[in-house]
Amino acid sequence: MKNPPLQQSIDQQSSQAVVLDDPNLSEVVVTLDNVSFGYSYKKLILKDLNLTIRQGEILTLLGPSGCGKSTLLNLIAGFYKPLSGLITHGDEVIKAPANKRGVVFQGNALFDWMTVEQNIGFGFRFQKLPKTESRFRVRQIIDLVGLAGSEKKYPYQLSGGMRQRVAVARSMVVHPEVLLMDEPFAAVDVQTREGLQEELLKLHDQVSGAILFVTHSIEEAVFLSDRIIVLDRDCRGIFEEIKVHLPSPRWSAMNRISEEFNQYRTQLYLKLKELG
Amino acid sequence: MLLKTAWRSARPKGRVQDLQSQALREKLTILGVSILIPLAILVAWELTTRLGWVDPLFLPSLSEIVAEFWAMVTKGYAGTSLLSHIFISLQRVYIAFFVGTVIGLLLGLLMGYYKYIRAAFYLVTEVLRPIPPLAFITLFILWFGIGEVSKVMIILYAGALIVMLNTMAGVQACPKEKILAAYTLGANDLAVFLYVILPAALPSIFTGMRVALSVDFGILVAAELLAGDQGLGYLIHDASTFFNVEALFVGIFLIGFFGLLSDVVLRVLSNRVVHWQGH
Ligand SMILES: Nc1ncnc2c1ncn2[C@@H]1O[C@H](COP(=O)(O)OP(=O)(O)O)[C@@H](O)[C@H]1O
Ligand SMILES: [Mg+2]
Repeated sequence: MKNPPLQQSIDQQSSQAVVLDDPNLSEVVVTLDNVSFGYSYKKLILKDLNLTIRQGEILTLLGPSGCGKSTLLNLIAGFYKPLSGLITHGDEVIKAPANKRGVVFQGNALFDWMTVEQNIGFGFRFQKLPKTESRFRVRQIIDLVGLAGSEKKYPYQLSGGMRQRVAVARSMVVHPEVLLMDEPFAAVDVQTREGLQEELLKLHDQVSGAILFVTHSIEEAVFLSDRIIVLDRDCRGIFEEIKVHLPSPRWSAMNRISEEFNQYRTQLYLKLKELG
Repeated sequence: MLLKTAWRSARPKGRVQDLQSQALREKLTILGVSILIPLAILVAWELTTRLGWVDPLFLPSLSEIVAEFWAMVTKGYAGTSLLSHIFISLQRVYIAFFVGTVIGLLLGLLMGYYKYIRAAFYLVTEVLRPIPPLAFITLFILWFGIGEVSKVMIILYAGALIVMLNTMAGVQACPKEKILAAYTLGANDLAVFLYVILPAALPSIFTGMRVALSVDFGILVAAELLAGDQGLGYLIHDASTFFNVEALFVGIFLIGFFGLLSDVVLRVLSNRVVHWQGH
């Protein structure tokens, strides 16, 4: 692909220019600095977008279908390059996928020819980690997500919820600094989804990387997030940002029925209504 | 049929045993009809021919065919033992199938993976694809002589093309999410190819191999019909010229038998290798 002229604005200096908008907040992991992107030059999907992902937070992207949430996530993953602007991870410009940025898709991403165990351990094939250590971590995460007893099963023998558990575990086990999740629970039934959300929060508590979560479910966003960003249509950028404070432990089912939860939900509902 | 079975098994049943015995009954029935019907056809064949309802010149009785088969086993056919006829045919088809599969596999993987190679060969394969391989037989004889090479080459070509197209399709059909997931877990291009794209393409590769093998048997017979003095195709051709209908049927049955046997072997192998799809 021919680089557009705007690409030339990418240089080392601007990658240094990480500004924390709030000194009390923890360190920034990923920064999007005036990022524009389109699949063709004719139609931009994202325009001059600024966004930061901070260490250890769960940040959720909400927004109408087609507003560019997946596109944004794919850009951060390194699957595409921005037409202009800069995406940095730490002090490194993101140019390609790397295992410090995990990705969980909506489905279809497990290796059908590998067992649960082999799927989860896949990332360790490319790391110089002692066998005993990697085995221990695979073992541990299998227990954590409730896959014990299914280690030797193949994906076709698992339910949809179990498969997503494997996908999450496979990405989490290598301890990425950021985990990018694109509607990972959208294809499972409501009960299973709630269980998966609670497990994700517990896993996050243990592994402690940042998570960028894309969903179209307001409830899911409120339950999971420390911060929610609502994206506008037609590349108008960020429409609203909301910080969520709910009592610990976050995975407590009480949080789903609390008054605060309802307030956040109503607030977001009205915001999304405004977008139409 | 499928719908009806689904509906029936969805009905509430009294006990677990009922369900189990019903499943067993279904299995036995399927096994039964799959054996009984072919058997019935053979019996009907034997009866109609024995009773003289059909002219034996058009359709000899089974027993006559078996007798002819036995005569061939003991005395050979056209100066060559039956085993040699079988052996030479199988040798041709298996060598061609094996080499063709290797070539088709390599080309298919390259074409599936590299879009430039795919583009380079796109027109060639699209033009070749609809041409029946047999259209090339005289050309192949001209190029490679009337002997073994031209026969093996035409079979090889036919099979390789099929394996190549299926392999290419399999590589291209690998879900993007799997490839991207592997990259985000730290895999490089080679690892993604070996651990993700290749296994994802295996079901399609095996399908291609099975189609190729059955096509190869067809091309074998045709190639041997046209030229040569040995092999099952030659046997059929020779028997036809002399109106030896019994021998003709022996040839036909032998080809059917070895074609089926080869496919069963390949199917078992395929199910062993591609075991992750369930049933
Ligand atoms: N691979 C692609 N090629 C071209 N256009 C795309 C591609 N993926 C998405 N788009 C377009 O980009 C826009 C944003 O898509 P996407 O990021 O998937 O939205 P969201 O995830 O918010 O629903 C949509 O208009 C969609 O049609
Ligand atoms: Mg999307």
